Amino acid sequence: MCIVTEVRTDRVTPGSQTSLREANRARIVSAVQQRGSLTQVELAGTTGLSPATVSNIVKELSAAGVLHTAPSTRSGRRAQLVTLARSLGLVAGVHFGARSMRVALADASLRVISEERMPLAPDHRADVGLRRAAMLVEEMAASVEAGAGELLAVGIGVPAPVDVRTGTVSSAGLLRGWDGAEVGTELGATFGVPVGVDNDANLGALAEARLGAGAGYDPVVYLRVSHGVGGGIVLGGQLLRGRRGAAGEIGHVTIDENGPVCRCGNRGCLETFVGSHVLVGMLAGRGHLTLADVIAGALAGDAGCRRVVYDAGQHLGVAAANLCNIVDPEVVVVGGQLAEAGELLLDPMRTALEQRTLPSAAGPPQVLATSLGAWAEARGALVVALDLARDRGTLGVGV
Amino acid sequence: MTSVLTLAGVSKSFGAARALVDVDLEVHPHEVVAVVGDNGAGKSTLAAMLAGVHQPDSGAVLVDGEPVRLASPATARQRGIAAVFQELALCDNLDVVENLFLGHELEAGPFLDEVAMERQAWELLDQLAARVPSVRMPVSALSGGQRRTVAIARALLGDPRVVVLDEPTAALGIRQTAQVLTLVERLRSRGHSVVLISHSTADVQAVADRIVVLRLGRVNGVFDADAATSEDLLAAITGAAPAAPRTRRPGAAPVEGGPR
Repeated sequence: MCIVTEVRTDRVTPGSQTSLREANRARIVSAVQQRGSLTQVELAGTTGLSPATVSNIVKELSAAGVLHTAPSTRSGRRAQLVTLARSLGLVAGVHFGARSMRVALADASLRVISEERMPLAPDHRADVGLRRAAMLVEEMAASVEAGAGELLAVGIGVPAPVDVRTGTVSSAGLLRGWDGAEVGTELGATFGVPVGVDNDANLGALAEARLGAGAGYDPVVYLRVSHGVGGGIVLGGQLLRGRRGAAGEIGHVTIDENGPVCRCGNRGCLETFVGSHVLVGMLAGRGHLTLADVIAGALAGDAGCRRVVYDAGQHLGVAAANLCNIVDPEVVVVGGQLAEAGELLLDPMRTALEQRTLPSAAGPPQVLATSLGAWAEARGALVVALDLARDRGTLGVGV
Repeated sequence: MTSVLTLAGVSKSFGAARALVDVDLEVHPHEVVAVVGDNGAGKSTLAAMLAGVHQPDSGAVLVDGEPVRLASPATARQRGIAAVFQELALCDNLDVVENLFLGHELEAGPFLDEVAMERQAWELLDQLAARVPSVRMPVSALSGGQRRTVAIARALLGDPRVVVLDEPTAALGIRQTAQVLTLVERLRSRGHSVVLISHSTADVQAVADRIVVLRLGRVNGVFDADAATSEDLLAAITGAAPAAPRTRRPGAAPVEGGPR
């Protein structure tokens, strides 16, 4: 990550009077919190404050137990690495996928302390899933010897559109067993802390834009290609959610007006071409396959599996090109399980995308693989949880 | 696809108690077959039979389509079938390496080849992405999930084709259950066939390709794990639904007596 791009996204002219000291403090805490860990020099670049001011404020906040400094090196020079002190508490991020659940526990500097993955049944139910997630978070918190009050907030990602104001799954029929599930209310009652709920692809988009392959770019489009296909759009650092959280649902963009009927009830959606059951179904007669088997086969050079992944890449490119012509992003980040196929998927996708986007002086949007891997959505959930904790003032610093 | 392991019309009685009655089971390569059922449905007897602990009274056991007699666990292992039972059979006072190689230690001349054993132990545990703090820790110091991982790793030492896991998630916390289920997925992707015996339908649906329901010693339904709902499974387990029509794959061995 280079400093120049960080300056461009974050730099706002700071106040110059001493009365702005409080605001500058908050600015520094916010920057450390967003990036996880930074050297003092990088902090100066990111916040636009002078190195001397940064040094003074960091010293003051370390003494107050908010920040923690450790000696480090950057480009061969000695530097002070600044992180949030662990005593500020923990946040949990939970990502429900179609066939698995991932739970991550991080401290207030987004340093992941513990993570766990659990396979889930097809068509799993909200009540069972949420109960297992709650038990897992509690057991993981206990294993890092966190006290009862240390958990500050929880972020949850669900593979369906979510009304973030109420924390309720707002779609019908997309995720059987989760229709209308009041995720926020239910888990809020279990944990007694603020709970943020969002669509999983939105969380992936947020994580990639802030911490991953999309850092320093704006707008960022994120595609999550796994059992289903989801998408998230980050404009000016903010997620585009739409009316009830269905913005960016690229999996249900029409590719073929006369195509097969999708689980959403419409025809010819992108998902009816690249959903995992469709990809696996194309290889019928090879026994019971999973998406992981198809990817492993493609990477090992199996011609049939490669063709399936190649075609999926082309279809994704077509759909992504439509989205690019509307949003004109700087970068399209591709995540989800199918992204593990790497260039086998991205190459045909780039070609299809370049053919269909409006020619621009800047060239076609970059297509990049996720840099956070399978944990992108869980990391996004951690980001949401930390933002919540900060907004509610439980981090101990007003920002 | 030919099956690696087939039970054809197998029955087993203990005195007057009929533990298994005319049971058919097929295990294909690279597949997780789950066997679910209530207490006393015959699950553990089935596991013991696959592991060579019990021998069937009637019916045939076929490995690669060839009838075999699994007279002892050692014979089963030679045939490529390894089992991990509920009670794990680990020695608490020995460390992880000693447990893994107990009975078939590697030797360098007159001495034990500790270095090679420790290296193999790490390789095996790494492949399973197992989180064991040290292979030189006595097993008594490990958690329930870690102990189960060690027992599974030991079963994998001879590189068996079929791994039979009897109630691998019983008496485990949620976190260790998550680790064991992830491990089952990893066994499958490594190319092993897995027979997963459990009474938890949620755990079974999460990782299985096919689910066989046993009820009172008989097969009461075979389900495709992607299509079966938990209601279907519960109905078959409790007997609320009559035996579903058995789905049979092409190439399956003919069954003595035929379907009822």
